[in-house]
Amino acid sequence: MDLDWIGRNLSEGEDILGLLGLHLVLALTPVLCALVLSVPVGYLVHRTRAGAAPLLALFGIVYSVPSLALFVAIPVVIGTQILDPLNIVVALTVYTLALLVRSVVDGFRSVPVDARQAAESMGMGPVRRVLTVELPLAMPVVFAGLRVATVSNIALVSVGAVIGSGALGQLFDLGLRQAFYTPIIVGIVLIVALALLFDGVILMLQRVLLPWYRKAAA
Amino acid sequence: MNLFEFLLDPASWTGPSGIPARLLQHLLYSGAAVLLAALVAIPLGVVIGHTRRGDAVASGLSNAARAIPTLGLLVLVVTLLGTGAAPVVGALAVLAVPPVLINTVAGFRQADQEAVHAGRALGMTPWQLVRQVELPLATPLIVSGVRSASLQVIATATVAALAAAGGLGRFVVDGQRLGPEGYPQMLAGAVLVALLAIVVDLLLGGLSWQLERRRRHIRREERGDLDALRAGELAEQAAARPDTADRAGDADRPADAATVEVPAGETPDTGPRPGHR
Amino acid sequence: MTRKRWILTAAAAATALVLSACGAGSNPLEGGGASESAAPAPEAGEVVVGSANFTESQVLAELYAQAMQAQGVQATTRPNIGSREVYLTALQDGSISVIPEYTGNLLLYFDPESPASTAEEIETALEEVLAEEQLVLGTPSEATDQDVYVVTAEYSQQNQVTSLEDLADLAPDAVLGGPAELAERSYGPPGLAELYGVEFGEFRPYDAPAVKIRDLNDGKIQVATFFTTESAIGDNGYVQLEDPQGMILPQNIVPLMAPQVAQNTAAVDAMDAVSEALTTEELTALNKAVDVDRRNPGEVAGEWLASEGLA
Repeated sequence: MDLDWIGRNLSEGEDILGLLGLHLVLALTPVLCALVLSVPVGYLVHRTRAGAAPLLALFGIVYSVPSLALFVAIPVVIGTQILDPLNIVVALTVYTLALLVRSVVDGFRSVPVDARQAAESMGMGPVRRVLTVELPLAMPVVFAGLRVATVSNIALVSVGAVIGSGALGQLFDLGLRQAFYTPIIVGIVLIVALALLFDGVILMLQRVLLPWYRKAAA
Repeated sequence: MNLFEFLLDPASWTGPSGIPARLLQHLLYSGAAVLLAALVAIPLGVVIGHTRRGDAVASGLSNAARAIPTLGLLVLVVTLLGTGAAPVVGALAVLAVPPVLINTVAGFRQADQEAVHAGRALGMTPWQLVRQVELPLATPLIVSGVRSASLQVIATATVAALAAAGGLGRFVVDGQRLGPEGYPQMLAGAVLVALLAIVVDLLLGGLSWQLERRRRHIRREERGDLDALRAGELAEQAAARPDTADRAGDADRPADAATVEVPAGETPDTGPRPGHR
Repeated sequence: MTRKRWILTAAAAATALVLSACGAGSNPLEGGGASESAAPAPEAGEVVVGSANFTESQVLAELYAQAMQAQGVQATTRPNIGSREVYLTALQDGSISVIPEYTGNLLLYFDPESPASTAEEIETALEEVLAEEQLVLGTPSEATDQDVYVVTAEYSQQNQVTSLEDLADLAPDAVLGGPAELAERSYGPPGLAELYGVEFGEFRPYDAPAVKIRDLNDGKIQVATFFTTESAIGDNGYVQLEDPQGMILPQNIVPLMAPQVAQNTAAVDAMDAVSEALTTEELTALNKAVDVDRRNPGEVAGEWLASEGLA
């Protein structure tokens, strides 16, 4: 390990910190976008009943497409340039959505029939019932999916280095070019640390936002 | 310019850097890596699953494994060990071990405890118990783990092109060097690897569904009466809508929520699996 | 509207959106290396110096950019864009405005059939073809950097190879390594076959020089292309193969720029001063500081400019 190299690239160029910031933006923006989209999409899929299985199978197929393939193909669909970091964001949003829709559907399915009937008998309208009863009860499963998606995204951004925009993944490219393992190890360690950190952050958020599950979660 | 000109050009389909050759390389790397990983992970999973020791290690491994950037690991191995099939297959195999291991352990954990107890009561040796009771019950989940591993390996083998390896990723990496002229080549690589992943996913998904169905079928036949069959169907319908208690538990085990869960519906499990590609 | 209708409508709308995006049929690489959102089109007066995906190009880009900054020109760099095909597209679409170039290879890129062979002939021929491309050549430096085919000392001795001519019999059993674009270059496999009757059994593309060096030393490839300014040649004792047919043209280092930069005298003067002061030996030393000592190209370039009184 060349600690000197790390010091130089932290203090002077701010290279590593710049890449770290970019990495977080590229990994977390898709999580937010997909979370917002997945709840309505997931609810609609859930409500289609008979259609839910084939639709979920379709999302499963989307999720099985390798990330590099998606990074390369996205520009044709949305008309961006190949080096545009937007490609990474859109591709990861598609993945996260594929994963979260499944979680949302599972979440809604997990809502006990009793709870729904109780809400109905209290005279709640469908919108209110979904938002105030079903959705909160579905959230623990959604949070589980959210954690998986966030951790995968943080690792996946680095694959973008193959096509020239991989944030911390660029350190892998640099290391490979110069047969220099320090940047490679720095990249791996930072990515794993970020992933574990945000996994913890989401867990904390879950405990704060869904305090009634604290016991179950513990 | 036609974006698909590379795929449609007959010249792309011949020679040592043609599509069939690259596809074969991709399959060889991936196949060897998954096989190697299965040879390590399944026996290890059987030991952990049967003895129920090291469960925590296996589950911790699953979370950590998802956080490791595959490209980084591959590049590190190539930088330290050089190019060639062996380092690439080795690095890919390392990435394929966790999903297979975790699912093998989970398969044992979910094996019908009544059957296990019955086996023990009949005086089966631990080896007989594993071979004749636990392993058959765990097989669908093990296959599903191999499926996750295969997808991850196929995706990562694409990235291996950056480390001077062959495979379909070559088209993506080389195409980029050619400027605007090269995009059809990049896209060809992307489309081919996506198709390969989808085909493998559906094949292994179909296999795991078949196994699951046969397992249920055998169980019904053994019981041998119509009432039990009906009861079984009802139980399955109930299982399709799992109750909250189970799910609240899942919330704290994200790995399990997606990897380990066996959808009880009558459709093949094509749902998203964790792990990055 | 029933729920089913709603879903069908949404699906139709989504399909239409995707199809219309496809219908635009834009090639994602056509716009060159920099995208609009990643790197907004440079402002008037701002000079963006791009560089190719290898060390020397990044060092040269830093030299030009920092020399211009010292003269009060607003200059930035956009490193590691890619191969010639990619960065020239970026130069022509305005994503970058200057790129370090090499005279001979640049000429062959635009005119593969050009008969020019001396440095002067190449410069004259280049100016003609570049006028058509709306690009302007700066003052070429004395410093040169040619592509060169090398073999290990051991291979050279065992097989009596010192020139490209000696490879004809060996090549069918040998593997050639080089950057992916070499496969298409006139000084790559096509030129070797035409001028020397050399046809390698396999061409293996490398993105990372360090990996190529390792494979050459390990005997996984037998012949590789390098740049003459790469310290790896001397450090590993490689034998540079002679090129009696002059397949590889002389390559003087030169800035290639967009017309609006050529009108900016402060910018042109700054780059001319760099060309004037730079020698092949100094460039080799700068490359080594980055490749072997793992220093930052910007830092290395800044120190050299300061020592030359250019910044």
